[in-house]
Amino acid sequence: MNAIRQHPTYVKKEVLMAVENVNLTFNKPILREVNFTVRNIVRPGVEQGQVVSLIGRSGIGKTQLFKLLAGLTEPDSGSITVGPDQHPVVAGEVGMVSQNYLLFNHRTIKDNLKLALRHSSHITDDAEKELLIAGYADNFDLSEHMAKYPMQLSGGQRQRASIIQQVLTGNKFILLDEPFSGLDALMIDKVIGLLLKISTLDELNTLVIISHDVENALAISDTAYILASEPGKEGATITETLDLMKMGFAWDASIRQREDFQQLVADIKHKI
Amino acid sequence: MIVVVEVALALGLWQVFGGGGLIPTPVQIIAAALRIVSSPSFADNLFSSLGLTMSGMGIAIILALIVSYLSLLPAFTPIARFVVKCRYLTLTGLIFLFTLLTQDGHQLKLSLLVFGIVPFFVTTLLSVIDSINMQEYELCRTMRMNNWQTLYEVVILGRLDQVVEALRQNFAIAWMMITMVEGLSMSEGGLGTLLIKSNKYIDLSTVFGILVIIFAMGILFDYLLKNLRFWLFPYAKIQIRK
Repeated sequence: MNAIRQHPTYVKKEVLMAVENVNLTFNKPILREVNFTVRNIVRPGVEQGQVVSLIGRSGIGKTQLFKLLAGLTEPDSGSITVGPDQHPVVAGEVGMVSQNYLLFNHRTIKDNLKLALRHSSHITDDAEKELLIAGYADNFDLSEHMAKYPMQLSGGQRQRASIIQQVLTGNKFILLDEPFSGLDALMIDKVIGLLLKISTLDELNTLVIISHDVENALAISDTAYILASEPGKEGATITETLDLMKMGFAWDASIRQREDFQQLVADIKHKI
Repeated sequence: MIVVVEVALALGLWQVFGGGGLIPTPVQIIAAALRIVSSPSFADNLFSSLGLTMSGMGIAIILALIVSYLSLLPAFTPIARFVVKCRYLTLTGLIFLFTLLTQDGHQLKLSLLVFGIVPFFVTTLLSVIDSINMQEYELCRTMRMNNWQTLYEVVILGRLDQVVEALRQNFAIAWMMITMVEGLSMSEGGLGTLLIKSNKYIDLSTVFGILVIIFAMGILFDYLLKNLRFWLFPYAKIQIRK
């Protein structure tokens, strides 16, 4: 890997999420000794969250890792801790946007968003809730679709609604399962813009993208972990960590045009 | 359009080549149906059958919903599975038992009808619950809902439209059973009573006429329940269209 240029203006602070020695077995080993951390990235003068990618080929165990990170299932051994106090993750602390942008089909978009606030938010005032929802809807071009049902929206609109629903729960961590899957180039750029917007809403907002799309995952992330299996060993593990900030690839809107970035993408594609 | 042409053709052939025998022709059947509909006792008989069916359906859906929702709790799962298997129990062998347990003819008919429908309702509702995507439960957990809130959101509220669809699908069974249970106690009348009496005297024109009326009423209720579902739950129509 060529370390091209240093990004001068960022500091890595406290650990926000730590995955330590996680093992998972279903009949055969799925995940083996998975270790990685997500740190709070601070850029002076810039409102900055964290965008981390877990890159691996299809069927490697990404979805299982996704559920472990969300606290929906427990590993056979190892630990997943979150927050500044590093407590074990429990379901409800980490938002989750599934590949099919799941929403409740029997509720309108507005009701779906309201539901997120009803069960998760400290906001009790209805007017304040309405205002908050309207603000997000406006900010993410969903105002005219609030009275529609999820099945009436396009994939992109559903994805936005699904992400906002998770943001409204107040979770700082949001996992996204294959957010670029099935989208054309124009839509992918829009999704990247949307995710960057979400990540910068709060300094502690952390997006964890689980994807097999190497180029787009690297283009949006500040850190990437490669999930792959090692020769002669069963189960996927983190085989490589890419500190894209250190390598000078983070926070660059025109990153795809750089030859060294394309070389990195080609290298990683060979490794997964 | 093709269906209409084919039905018209079949009825035409029946009318032309089917006359003179024991089986009445379509014109005779229609005439008998019109005669039954215009008779003074028809409304009483119709409402007696409809009332019994509606009461039976109402009680059966409540019982079936309770059994189906409780089936999510491990302790109640075997009960729900047993109720499903009760589809294969014939009512004929249980009539004496129900006669002992009930106080009058109406109760006997109603309880037999409910006993006959509930297993079919539970079967449909359990298949609805089984087909729920695990991700919906997980979505609830990420939104910090507890188990009861998840049950309400995903299984109860989220599948209400499919309960109405289950009502529609199983209305046919209840409507078919009505003629059988009405034969057990004829004092209240009903379409089933009319049918059995006409059968007794081999008045086949009237028998076929009553069958046409029962068939037409079934089709009408199927149509009404289908549209009730779309009216109450507009998202159901969108899902079907998709």
